[in-house]
Amino acid sequence: MTGKKRVITRRDFIRTGSWAVMGSLMGLPLAHRAGGQTAQKSRVVLIRNQNATEGHGALNPGTVVQMLDDALTVALGAEDPVSAWRKIANPGDTVGIKSNVWFRLPTPPELEKAITARLVEAGVAPQNISVDDRGVKSNPVFKRSTVLINIRPMRTHHWSGLGSLLKNYIMFVPQPWIYHGNACERLGAIWQKPQVAGKTRLNILVMLTPLFHGVGPHHFSRGYTWPYGGLIVSTDPVSADAIGARIIQAKRNQYFGEDRPISPRPLHIEAADIKFGLGNSHPDRIELIKLGWHENILI
Amino acid sequence: MNNSSRTRTFGGLSGFATVSIIFLFMTQITHALSLESLQADLPKQVDRWSAQTGDRIYDEKTIFSYIDGAAEVYKAYNMKQCLSRRYTISGGPEIILDIFDMGSSEDAYGIFTHDIDGTKVGIGQEDRLRPGWLSFWKDRFFVSIYMEEESGAAEQAVLELGRQVAGKISGKGTRPAIISQLPSAGLQNDTVRYLHHPVVLNYHYYLADENILNISADTDVALAQYQLGNQTARMLLVKYPTPEEAMRSQADFLNYYIPDADKKGAALLENGQWAAVSRKGHLLAVVLEADSRELAEHLLQNVH
Repeated sequence: MTGKKRVITRRDFIRTGSWAVMGSLMGLPLAHRAGGQTAQKSRVVLIRNQNATEGHGALNPGTVVQMLDDALTVALGAEDPVSAWRKIANPGDTVGIKSNVWFRLPTPPELEKAITARLVEAGVAPQNISVDDRGVKSNPVFKRSTVLINIRPMRTHHWSGLGSLLKNYIMFVPQPWIYHGNACERLGAIWQKPQVAGKTRLNILVMLTPLFHGVGPHHFSRGYTWPYGGLIVSTDPVSADAIGARIIQAKRNQYFGEDRPISPRPLHIEAADIKFGLGNSHPDRIELIKLGWHENILI
Repeated sequence: MNNSSRTRTFGGLSGFATVSIIFLFMTQITHALSLESLQADLPKQVDRWSAQTGDRIYDEKTIFSYIDGAAEVYKAYNMKQCLSRRYTISGGPEIILDIFDMGSSEDAYGIFTHDIDGTKVGIGQEDRLRPGWLSFWKDRFFVSIYMEEESGAAEQAVLELGRQVAGKISGKGTRPAIISQLPSAGLQNDTVRYLHHPVVLNYHYYLADENILNISADTDVALAQYQLGNQTARMLLVKYPTPEEAMRSQADFLNYYIPDADKKGAALLENGQWAAVSRKGHLLAVVLEADSRELAEHLLQNVH
């Protein structure tokens, strides 16, 4: 370390008292925002249904697809789901649906199929729609895409703190490990690459059975998931991730019976806001709309 | 000896480089053979679980394809190879055995300390069992045995497999020397962690968004908690390659974390706890939070 660079430390959180209150997440005033960032609040819709899944198990497709339609309609301020999906894509568009295939907690195929069907209903040609994760760099539909839809389940992550919507785009770069430095803080830079910049019209953070803690090399135990039955929908990936992070944090505190910060701190969410200007991470700049089941909502 | 003389001596390759390459080659072969010989000796059957064919061996690059997400942690501890074997049973959960050759017992111990929740069951040199997962270290190996789903029978099989694998590893490793430099009085042994990567430190104790202690692969770090009477503290020891780096890191810590420190390097934090720092040669001692100034100073004075 050299010079007098502005560094955020634990001391800053202690000083503001936000360590205990926020569990270390997004608790500091945004003093150094990226230039050109929108002054508007970001709208995020959190929708839940206690029947979305059978406990930890199978997903109820009809319920979850209805949740997605309802959330999207509110998120976009549309009159109905049909007009909402038409705001996402039109007949002239080519759409890449960026999924996540991590086999222990993948994007539910039912949601991938439902999004595809809705896009077709909105007039997008089936051959101009593709769902992919690890093959996005070479996928011809993604290569000529005009629209991206980003969907993945949220989970804790050993190196970035959280497997988030922002992190889901790491497969768009040929050398993902370049972005692993300092707990993957620079993931926001990927969103400025030509192959993705400005294309993402919808972000869906799947919170049906999120993973709130992980240990060991496989970082997964069914015991650290819970049937939250939620979807978080927004055009702003940073806001959606920030809301998801607060829910994960609250669940950790509840489960462990103490303040148990997400580790490592998911710096990439704040950095996507403050350094890369991709959206809003601070609660003051998020309009959170809650729909559906409110019991144990944790936020 | 300068480079040119080495080049002349070994006809195109420097002597040092030649020796290094040979040593590296031998080291890799030694590790590969050791893991392979261990592999050949592993049980084919544990209780009613049978080993599947198709063991996989991963190196520091291919490990990313296997344990997406956690691979960086293993890389941060210089993982050399990982042998993975699956045990299956009809109608039951899979058991996954992963044996990591960490290259040194220090790093095997270090990666073990990354997850120290759980109960001790007496396998290997140190172990922990928690729901769905047994881990232990022995010699330069870190062993993880993971249940896809938890059940009493699976846990018994996991324990039996752990005992058998530990029995196949004949050597015994040493803990990192820096651990013995921690003050003894009040040390909570089950909280000690060893690391040499700033993100791993932040995983266990978020300090700063930047690497203000200049932790790198060349530094050894011990993190531990203390309880003396009714007072608690958390302490960090960092050993740098040179006294100059230790001095620079001390200055950075004072600059970025406790700019309000007094002449003794101690500061009262806003939550009523104390932070303090001192240096002796290569070694930097940091009390991150202590219930009293007296405890902070006591710890700094009792570094071995």
